[in-house]
Formats: sequence, C-alpha cells, structure tokens
Amino acid sequence: MSRRISIDPITRLEGHGKIEIFLDDRGAVEDCYFQIPELRGFERFVVGRPIEELPRIVTRICGVCPASHHLAGAKAVDGCFGDEVPPLAHKLREMYYNAHYIHSHIAHFYALAAPDFILGPESDPAVRNILGVVAKVGLEIGGKVIQARAQAQEIQQIIGGRTTHLVWCLPGGVSKGLKPEELERVKPMVGELYDFAQFSLKLFREAVLGNPGYVELILNGPYTLQVQNMGLVDENNAPNFYHGKVRVVDCEGKEVCKYEPREYADHVAEHVEPWTYLKFPYLKKRGWKGFVEGVDSSLYTATPLARLNVADRMATPRAQEAFEEMFATLGKKPCQALLAAHWARLVEMVQNAETLQRYCADPEITGDAYRVVPRQITGEGVGIVEAMRGTLTHHYTCDAKGICTSANLIVGTTNNNAPIHMVTRKAAATLIKPGVEPTEGILNMIEMAFRAFDPCYSCATHSLPGQMPLEVVVHRNGVPDREFRRRC
Amino acid sequence: MIRSLVVGMGNPLLRDDAVGIRLAAFLRGQLGDAPGLSYVEECSAGGLEILDLVAGHDRLVLLDSIKAGGPPGSWYRFDGGALRETMNLRNVHDTNLATALELGRRLGLPIPVEGEIHVFAVEVEDNLSFDERMTDALEERFPEYASEICAEVASLLGAASPREDP
Repeated sequence: MSRRISIDPITRLEGHGKIEIFLDDRGAVEDCYFQIPELRGFERFVVGRPIEELPRIVTRICGVCPASHHLAGAKAVDGCFGDEVPPLAHKLREMYYNAHYIHSHIAHFYALAAPDFILGPESDPAVRNILGVVAKVGLEIGGKVIQARAQAQEIQQIIGGRTTHLVWCLPGGVSKGLKPEELERVKPMVGELYDFAQFSLKLFREAVLGNPGYVELILNGPYTLQVQNMGLVDENNAPNFYHGKVRVVDCEGKEVCKYEPREYADHVAEHVEPWTYLKFPYLKKRGWKGFVEGVDSSLYTATPLARLNVADRMATPRAQEAFEEMFATLGKKPCQALLAAHWARLVEMVQNAETLQRYCADPEITGDAYRVVPRQITGEGVGIVEAMRGTLTHHYTCDAKGICTSANLIVGTTNNNAPIHMVTRKAAATLIKPGVEPTEGILNMIEMAFRAFDPCYSCATHSLPGQMPLEVVVHRNGVPDREFRRRC
Repeated sequence: MIRSLVVGMGNPLLRDDAVGIRLAAFLRGQLGDAPGLSYVEECSAGGLEILDLVAGHDRLVLLDSIKAGGPPGSWYRFDGGALRETMNLRNVHDTNLATALELGRRLGLPIPVEGEIHVFAVEVEDNLSFDERMTDALEERFPEYASEICAEVASLLGAASPREDP
C-alpha cells in the first residue's frame, strides 16, 4: 500500500510551490516531485506593447526582485535600440543594483535562513521565524537588521526614485542622475552597510560555524548536488551582478563555457515535463540527460554559491578575504554543498557594500551624462543580470516601429528547477525513514533543501489565502486519511 | 491627532488583484483629504518593507483581495489579530505581514496596535492571469462593495482615539 505526502504550499517561499512525496509499502520514499502548479503568461502579455514600456511592465512580474527584472529588461531594450547607453548610466544602474542586493540578502539571511540555524531546524515552528531569531540574539541586533535593510532601501530610493516597481531605466540610459547633495546622503549609509555586512559574517561564524552540528549538516547532510555552476563574471572572472559574460564551471572546477548574453540560446535550452508548468533549463550543447548528477550532467545551479564557484576571485578586497575564508573552511572549490549558499550571500554582501563605496568615491557619479536619445531601432536585445536567486535572462524582439513582437524570460529560479527537484528528493529519501512517521522537524529539513536556493515562483499574487501556510496530507490508496498543519 | 493611513494593496496587471488599488482610489475620491489622513493608492510592498510604510501611523486601513471561497465581490473585515493566521504570498520571501508588524513593535517602532490594523478584503475570482481588467463579476459588483466598504471606512476614520490591545 503506497501513500503520498503533500507539502503545499511551501512555507517562507513567495509564490506557490508544492512538494509531493510518495511512500512505498514500507514507508520509504519512492519518489518526490517539486511542482509549480500555476501557469504564468507574462511573455504573451507584453507582445504588442511599445518595447520601451517592457522594463516598467516586467517589474510587476514579482514584488520580490523587481529591480532585477527592471534592469534585465532595460538591457534587453538597450539592445533593441542599438546599445547606445552612456557609461554613467551603467554606473548608476550598477550602484542601484548593489543596494538592492544588500536589501534582498539581508531579508533572506535573517528572515529565511537564520531561523533554521539560530534556532535549529527542528525547533518549535511557532518560534522558528525572525521573531524567534530576534528573541534569541537580542533586540539590538534586530534593530540593526531593520536599520540596514531600510538604509539599503533608502539608497535605492535616492538613486532610482523608487524602491519597488522602478520606472527609472529608459532606452539610452536612466531618467535621473545622482545629485551631489544626494550622494552626501548616500555615503554614510554605505559605510554603515559595509559594517553590517561584516557584522553578519561574524554572526555566521559564531552561530553557524561555531556549531559542529551545523557544519556537519552543511558539508555532509543530504544537501549536496554534483551538477555544474553558472554565474555572471567580469573580465577578471570576478562576480558581477549587472554586467559581464555568463560563465559555466563544472562541479570539478573546469570551465565549460563562457558566453555573451546575446549568445544565450546557443548554450541554454529548456526541457518540459508534464507534471509541472515550470521548465527545466539545461546546457544545450550537452543535451537533456535527465535528472542526473555528475560532471557530465547537463544540469546546473545558478545561485550565490554557484556565482562564487564560477568566480576566480571577488571584485573587491574585503570580499576577497571572505571568499578565501569560505572556501578554505568548506575544503574545496567548487563546493557543491548547497546550504553554503547562505554563507555565499554574506560574502556577496561585502562585495555589494564595497562596490557602493567605490561608486561613492567616483568623481563622475554625480555627472549629468546619464542618458542619450537612441537613434536607431535594431529590433532585438538580450539582457542578462544576476538576480539574487540566479541568472536572469530577458530576450526581446520588436518591429521597425518598436512594438514588441516576442519576449522570452528565463528567470533566476527556473535555472535551478531541476536541482531543486533533485535535492528535495534526495533530502526526503535520506530523512524519511521507513516505518517512522516524519516529524514536523523532518519536513522542515526537507524544505531547507530548496530554501537554500531562495527560490521565487511568484511573479504572482499576494492575496490572503485565508488558510494555513503549510499542509501535509498523507494519502492512503489515493484517499487523504491524515492531515498535519502548522504555521510558517 | 490620529494619523491614519489608507493603503490599496495589489498588482494592477494581475486582473482581480487590482481590486485593492481600485478601492483606494475610490475611497480617496469619496472621502477626500483630511488632517492626519494619508493614502497610498498603489502598494505592492509586503514583509519587512511594509514597516517603512506603516511606521509613524496610529491606524492602518488595508484594502486587499482575498480568496476564501466566497462569491466574487463579497467582502470581509478583520483586524490585525486575524492576520496571524494568514500568509502573504507576494513577499513571503522575507516574512508575513503580521510577523513584520510584530517585529516592528518589539523593536520599538511606532506601529499601530493590532486593533488599529483594519483589513477590508474583497473576494476575487482570478488573481493569477496577467490582464489590466478585472473579471466581469468583480467589475459589475464594484459600485456595490466599494460603497459599502467606503461607508465602513468613513465611520472608522471618524472614530475616536486608537484602541489599545488588551
């Protein structure tokens, strides 16, 4: 007699995802599916619109990483208009984006990751949240978190005019520059954000690395996956979140490919399965080989950890120190222990802060050459940025009047769809023992497998569902006979 | 003076998800401006971001959509206490609304007490399709439920000082 366990919807994830775990007669995991049961239709929705509107429309895909969509869309539109963008516009966009990264990484680390590590993965779910974290580490630290997050938001507001749903990027640049008096407001906040990034690394060392059980869980738990790594790098193969080439490095450290954004279709293809709406990207030249691990697999991750795995170095000095410390502790590079993504976010945050410092000291940053009026429509553009949760590709085409004729989006989390599916199955198979009823803590540890990806399926809705955020239903012969509920 | 904030939540491109935004614009047109009263007609923030918006106000009126199994266009009113059992799918990326507000209170931020968080939620039919129009069912009933909610909010805004949680 087989039975099925459903985890639906997944806690602390935006959007709607569902885990289905099928148990065999002995109660062992027979199979596990990570499903996205909703169909989005954004790529059709934008066809027929003026192409310059798309960066403003695509921010509405998602309230979580709107800046990533705005900037990827802007770069794709740049391409449609012949890539006539002044250097200052790129600097301002990158400056904005690094502040956005800090804001997002703070939210992920303290609200999503920290509860599992500061309080423990099997702690009482009623307190396993940011309130529990603050209760444990103290109000002073809680205040620091809120202040740093607010500062990162304010920097975005000052530079781009808005924190969410930007309308800032235009064909040929941006709609506003940075005034000297605005820069003076930004500077002290940037200094504090740098301090906060270093503080967060210190907290990670003490709370996570100081606990041998957590180190064991990261390195040797059921959260490793031998697939390839993808990330955007600059000319020195250091991570860059806004500019550069996409580099893929295999799980043994060898470069697989490195390509310009416009070449993405030569390197990435998408596989379809009948049980989910979300596609499975893979390395096109290797062909679809199924959900398999190994150095020859065509699957890859695109995460903060993957970004550091593909990098030869960080772009800034203090981040480089943190990078070296991380890989020395992990024992190898690339490292395929997916929970280390939480650490990688903090290393990235140091680079984000240092990048902001660099731009604050740039004498050109308050200039006024932040936009040119494009003179031509070339009809096609590809924009790639690193969304916080993975490489984000926007590919647009338009007709001679600048009306959108097609749009293709490969969003950050989609890159990770196959690895998320595989590591969730691995965690379930390892943690659920035959004949032993899975506890709430065990189910949370299965969730930790995909939470490490900071996945975003939303692009969706925020409506109040009026129900518990997590339901676990045990099916026997297709009939639900037991139900668990808990709060997020 | 009581500082009240009326917020329309939603995504104007996500069909019925726009109902909160439509309601906020309607209320502003009907109720107008008054001392201590401010509006955010279009808000997509959630989680910790909501703290920046709410801090400094004594009373919060949230206009939003909901899927609770009722007929489209029916609506519900509840206070901040009820939010503890809900989930904010938009921004569960960081934390849900109730958790964010409670965190703000514990950190000493000037956040309205739970009894002064007033949520008006309209039952919707389709909040997953990208479209700038609401469904016919919700559009046709808009004058009815918008007027009813407006009357309740008007009464609420005319109320005396904010209540304290027990």
